[in-house]
Amino acid sequence: MISLILRRGALSLATLFLLATFIFFATEVLPGDALDVSLSADEVAMMPPEVLARRKAELGLDRPILERYLGFLGGLLKFDLGRTIITRAPVADIVAMPLRNSMALAAVTLLLALPVALGIAMAAAQAKGRGLDNAVSGAAIIGYSIPEFVTGLLLIAVFAVWWPIFPATITASTDDPLSVLLAAAPLAVITTIIGSIAYLGRILRVGMIEVMASDFVERLHLSGIPRWRILLVHALPAAVIPGLSAAALYAASLVSGIVVVEMVFAYPGIGAELVRAVTRREVHVVQAIALAAAICVVSFNLLADLGISTLDPRTRSA
Amino acid sequence: MVGFSRRTALGAGTALFGALNAALAVAQPAATPRRGGALVYAQLSGNRRGGDATNSRHPYFMVDLITRSAYNTLAWVDEDLRLQLELATRIVPADASLKVWEVTIREGVRFHDGRVMTANDVASSFELHRRRNFASQQIQRTEVMNPTTIRFHLDAGNSEFPFVLAEYDCVVMPANPDIDRIGLEGIGTGPFRITGSDPQRRMTFERFDDYWRQGFPFLDRLEVINREGQSEAALAGYRARQFDAMLNIDPRLTRQMEREPQTDLVPAASGDQAVIILPKHPGSLFNDARIRRAFSAAIDREGLVRIVYGGTRWGWVGNDSHLAAADPMFVAPERGRDLALARRLLAEAGHPNGVTLPTLYYAPQWPEMARYFQFIQESVREAGITLPIEERPNDGYLRFRTGDPDVSKGNWHRFAYTAVGPRNPGISLFRMRPANNESGYWSGPAAERYMALYARAMLTAEAAARRAIYAEMQELLREEVPAILPAGRNNVLIKRSTVQNLKNHPQHWSIRWDEVWRSA
Repeated sequence: MISLILRRGALSLATLFLLATFIFFATEVLPGDALDVSLSADEVAMMPPEVLARRKAELGLDRPILERYLGFLGGLLKFDLGRTIITRAPVADIVAMPLRNSMALAAVTLLLALPVALGIAMAAAQAKGRGLDNAVSGAAIIGYSIPEFVTGLLLIAVFAVWWPIFPATITASTDDPLSVLLAAAPLAVITTIIGSIAYLGRILRVGMIEVMASDFVERLHLSGIPRWRILLVHALPAAVIPGLSAAALYAASLVSGIVVVEMVFAYPGIGAELVRAVTRREVHVVQAIALAAAICVVSFNLLADLGISTLDPRTRSA
Repeated sequence: MVGFSRRTALGAGTALFGALNAALAVAQPAATPRRGGALVYAQLSGNRRGGDATNSRHPYFMVDLITRSAYNTLAWVDEDLRLQLELATRIVPADASLKVWEVTIREGVRFHDGRVMTANDVASSFELHRRRNFASQQIQRTEVMNPTTIRFHLDAGNSEFPFVLAEYDCVVMPANPDIDRIGLEGIGTGPFRITGSDPQRRMTFERFDDYWRQGFPFLDRLEVINREGQSEAALAGYRARQFDAMLNIDPRLTRQMEREPQTDLVPAASGDQAVIILPKHPGSLFNDARIRRAFSAAIDREGLVRIVYGGTRWGWVGNDSHLAAADPMFVAPERGRDLALARRLLAEAGHPNGVTLPTLYYAPQWPEMARYFQFIQESVREAGITLPIEERPNDGYLRFRTGDPDVSKGNWHRFAYTAVGPRNPGISLFRMRPANNESGYWSGPAAERYMALYARAMLTAEAAARRAIYAEMQELLREEVPAILPAGRNNVLIKRSTVQNLKNHPQHWSIRWDEVWRSA
């Protein structure tokens, strides 16, 4: 197991290095720079070209790409994400709270969606091909197909405008306690949960159906083990295995920013911060967020691999 | 300076600014204002300021609409674009050169931390502004004469210098020898003091009881929610009664919002306008003034305002200068659309059967831009002008359209649109200078004459004489058409009917919040 962890850890680090390099050069192709977009049309019209050039030099925007790349990698080795270009604020400070908020939204979503998705998947698998299964499958397809912004806007129209029991837009501050922030974001949470239940429910249902049709479940039935025990103790862990990787990637995508949901509800998460950073050409912030997203994906994948190895010993030698 | 004595300058300056030296002429609300209550508003306009936790209380890094809630400037431009005094009680030129201006500040004004404002605070603040604010770079140095008097020494005469003192960035902050620290605490003299800041997202204020305008402000609390580019989210918040007002709404929403219950739409007297930049690089069709004039004459400006903005309540006709229609110096165009003139000019320029212009690029910086240029495209077709148009993404648009000012490099700027907001007449008309991209790098005798007129205006203290010069400059622009500015939009805000005395402003950052009150 330890060697597996070391192998996968080393592979993850190599992946992260390649991703960091890709992220750096991807931000280089963005047109314009932070100074360009920080200036108003008035300022551009009134500022002589030599003043513009001087300010670019002051901000380090005229440094060669290789020099900036090496600086970026050197910073990463020291866990230093750098500073913003215009205001010289530490990037870690800019990213920390939105990252916390996105992680909280993802955690709440998964905590609420996973048990529901599991329950639905088990019920549907038990009733395979019958009315309940068809209804669950149909609802899951609809839930998964409807874009989150449509779900969000519908929820706003119903529960914030027509029947105003929830806020339509989140006005809580980025650094408010999570209890305050999440209490102000019920519609955002419900929107992500609907999509999550639909997605996870479909994956888990397929896994459950495959396992319930397998030989080992058949033998368990013949051994006289109660059906509920077969379902919960034997079938469920086996059914979860194929869905773990997909669920891990889904969880990573939740953390790394449900941009649409964040924009619809003005949730102060990492996705909204990324959009803002790209718009303002704060490439160090863009790099930090993209890297955080990459770390999430790699970490969740690693955890899923380890989880699968734990649940299924046959995979350990792979 | 010819024919311009010190006595003349001082006399004219006194006459010009005599009106300013009266007490601050801000009209009292008609109904009896009620004190107390809170107001939450959402602002939708784009904002380039990238404040963060370290500096979001600094006036340079706030969302620009918020600045005047916490800070004041020495002067203020009112809703009709006329200069009023604010923290200054007197602004006069110290000599005939108009290079030195003397300002007397209001006595007894307190900062939010309880300190009394002095001329040293003004000097310290402008030490920062003259280094960082584009409009203040003409200030070479300041000279404190006594605790309430300060002199500004400029690099050249500027008859409109008081407008610089009204720029929203040029606020007065407590003195600090370290200019990198000045303003970071968010302490101003404004009607509200900052109580909380979530950079680029939210700001909260409470009433400042020692505010220098006795009896103001009326509200106890003010909360600003930044929803730039999130019109739908803001609208949902307004309809869910989370917001009491929304600033800078999309003009397309006006008809819809007129049906909203207990809601008032408040247009400003003016707002931003579109500039169509006509490049004059080698080989460009726009080197020929007749083509430029034909293009300008073919545009149905009244139709543009009617169709795109829904009428003159929401939009206005431009005169091919950067001046806004609400500006007291604006000269309304004498003639409207003239298709016969357009066709004749095209024929004279060698295009009797019409002309196909290069592609006009625009970015959807305002939601109505696609309709705006589609209308122009159809409008000029009737004069035989074919105008291909292409929308470009907002992202990277500035660099796309500006190219390289050095035409020898071949990376020419584009036949493209940009947006401009209303400023003081001097700054606005200066934007058509030959060296600026917005004029399409206009050159030749007419451009030289234009700049000579501008230079004369800057040394003309007497307002009526300056108005005549500005009128001549606008006439020159209408004849030469270095760029086309067909029409502009009025800034529009919506508010609940219970919100009183919230006046909209052509420069949306200049809205006064100290006079706003709630009837319920």
